[in-house]
Amino acid sequence: MTAPPTASPGAASIGPVFGRRLPIAAGVAGVVGLIAAMVSPPDFVQGELVRLMYIHVPAAWTAYLSFAVTLGASIGWLWRRRPGLDRMAAASAEVGVFFTGLAIALGSIWGKPTWGVWWTWDARLVTTALLFFVYLGYLALRRAIPDPLVRARRSAVFGVAAFAQVPLVHFSVLWWRTLHQPPTVLRPGDPSIDHTMLAALLLNLVAFTLLWALLVRARARIAAAQDRIDEAEPTRPLAGDAVSAPRLEASDV
Amino acid sequence: MTAATVSPLGLCLVLARKDLRLERRAGEALLVTAPFGATALLLAPLAVGTDTPLLRELGPALYWLVVLLFGVLVTLRASAVDGPAQVAMLRLAGVGARVRLAGRTLANGVLLLGFQLLLAPVAVLLYDPDLTGWPWLLPVFVLVAAGLAVLGALADALAAGLAGRTALGPLLVAPLAVPLLIGATGVLQAARYGRPPWPWLLLLATVDLVAALLAAWCAPHLEDRT
Amino acid sequence: MPQIGKAAPAYRRVVAGILGSPGGSAEVARLEDVTVAVHRTPVLHGLDLRLAAGEVLGVLGANGSGKTTLLQVLATLVAPSAGRGQVLGSELGTPGTATARRRIALVGHVPALYGPLTLAENLRFVARLSGRDEQAANGALAAVGLGGAARRRAESCSQGMQRRADLARVLLAEPSLLLLDEVHAGLDRDAVPLVDAVVARVRARGGAAVLVSHEPDRLVGLVDRLVRIVDGRAEPVGDFP
Repeated sequence: MTAPPTASPGAASIGPVFGRRLPIAAGVAGVVGLIAAMVSPPDFVQGELVRLMYIHVPAAWTAYLSFAVTLGASIGWLWRRRPGLDRMAAASAEVGVFFTGLAIALGSIWGKPTWGVWWTWDARLVTTALLFFVYLGYLALRRAIPDPLVRARRSAVFGVAAFAQVPLVHFSVLWWRTLHQPPTVLRPGDPSIDHTMLAALLLNLVAFTLLWALLVRARARIAAAQDRIDEAEPTRPLAGDAVSAPRLEASDV
Repeated sequence: MTAATVSPLGLCLVLARKDLRLERRAGEALLVTAPFGATALLLAPLAVGTDTPLLRELGPALYWLVVLLFGVLVTLRASAVDGPAQVAMLRLAGVGARVRLAGRTLANGVLLLGFQLLLAPVAVLLYDPDLTGWPWLLPVFVLVAAGLAVLGALADALAAGLAGRTALGPLLVAPLAVPLLIGATGVLQAARYGRPPWPWLLLLATVDLVAALLAAWCAPHLEDRT
Repeated sequence: MPQIGKAAPAYRRVVAGILGSPGGSAEVARLEDVTVAVHRTPVLHGLDLRLAAGEVLGVLGANGSGKTTLLQVLATLVAPSAGRGQVLGSELGTPGTATARRRIALVGHVPALYGPLTLAENLRFVARLSGRDEQAANGALAAVGLGGAARRRAESCSQGMQRRADLARVLLAEPSLLLLDEVHAGLDRDAVPLVDAVVARVRARGGAAVLVSHEPDRLVGLVDRLVRIVDGRAEPVGDFP
């Protein structure tokens, strides 16, 4: 991710938030993905409901991508201490939480007519829900810390520590599932997916990835602009300047 | 008056003793949080209903759930807070971030073990669960206390000095402590159905180890403003 | 060793015991163009300061001028956001400060005591951290005139008593750099010579001390040199204002 080409301190010009090429690319990919999803054949078992897959799967993919990027940016921050990496980690986590929520909601909407329940104790589902809460915690931690350096440091540590626990969480949930009865309702999707459907899914994956990149970049740019405004104030007063001689004197009483 | 260099383990023990002494004075973990946990165990059947077989089935699960959620509060107790003056004093005494975290973990572990042992008879009394293979619980108590102690100490360090630390801490710990919950309940279930509980114990030990390594790695990174 | 009468306060005996120790001549601290920002607001800005071995420096300044922050920088607890500095031979902001830290003692305006613990328990805790025995802790407590209050919880002690207990901690630490933040606040008249003694002790060991105060009168006769923090910088003050 490159910094926007504006750097005059004090002017606080934030530059383009969304950029030019990426929104067009994301928009085109989105339209193509939508058309592909509409023209792809209905599923043999699920009928039209299968079209939810074209949003649900890409949403889940971008959610995992977000958290992986947050992990990478957190490690990068601890290593290089570049503020841009902290902004990237935060932006990616925010977008990730949004897409996780979307994936869970869509999964639920898909699950009700397909499995007969809004929620099932599938290992992947449980892990995704836990991820949602882990990164809600990450965002809550960020919000609670006013100092930018302390915030960057602590959230980077949590970003790494949390993600490192995720495989264990997933593994334990997977194991826990083997202890119980597998769901008796219908499982969505067939292992051998139709080629047209696969192509439509891939197109939507590309569209969602572009949308993800657009959102993360915009969020990071807004944060960068905010940081620049905070830092580049040429007349930022010293802490001591805020204190002056008291006005109240004995003669006033 | 001669000063000797104290080993990291020695420092850790000194810190843990101090924490436990503070807890003895405040009684926060064992005299406040533990009764609160016991109340939760008492309230659950009031919501579920007096279906004795169902409660017998649910008992161990509810017990471990209370241990997990209320145990986090034990690790975040106010009496364990070192203010900025105390942290500065410790840092100037040559106590590094890793040793501070290890000392806190040790004290947390001891308290959590006490917390579990206090609540266990309450759960047995209220739910009358099937206790087949109960000796397996002994290592489970230790492993769960250790894992939760590390995760709690880590969350405590992450939320140190923040206004909402007691609300934030549990949110940071609870989703990551899921393997402890699953492992702990898995051991008794396995014992009940005649399966070897080793895999579950191994899971608990792995979680403890990974959490400890993570904590050791990230402790120096949590040293603010240096 | 000078003769000390039986009636002499214990701290004088402690000081007497330490007098004659060889003192070093190296520079204890040097700050160059140091800037420190807290929550993005600069507190110190382009500050230069030198502290020689055996020197006692007084720091004056208005509320919020950065006196406490300066002490935290000298204590290596806060790294400068710009500029550089050395304390006891360690470059600030590097891992080397960890070794220097053990030779620094800071008495902040909030005492570093654990409220629910007794004064004796607090001091014993500090003693154990540095590998000293309980006798040393009891001795330090007696030296600051709190032998009789050893079994009282810190939270039930007055501010002045807590301050004395904090100074007892310094006696245990035997620092080469002593940093005192408004140390006279809450101390009664009897206890004021205690500050002099603690500072003298550090000076006699070839160390240096920095005393922060907003009351210049308190520092008369105690410091060799005065600076005032103005606009984030340390400006020399010729004489006591």
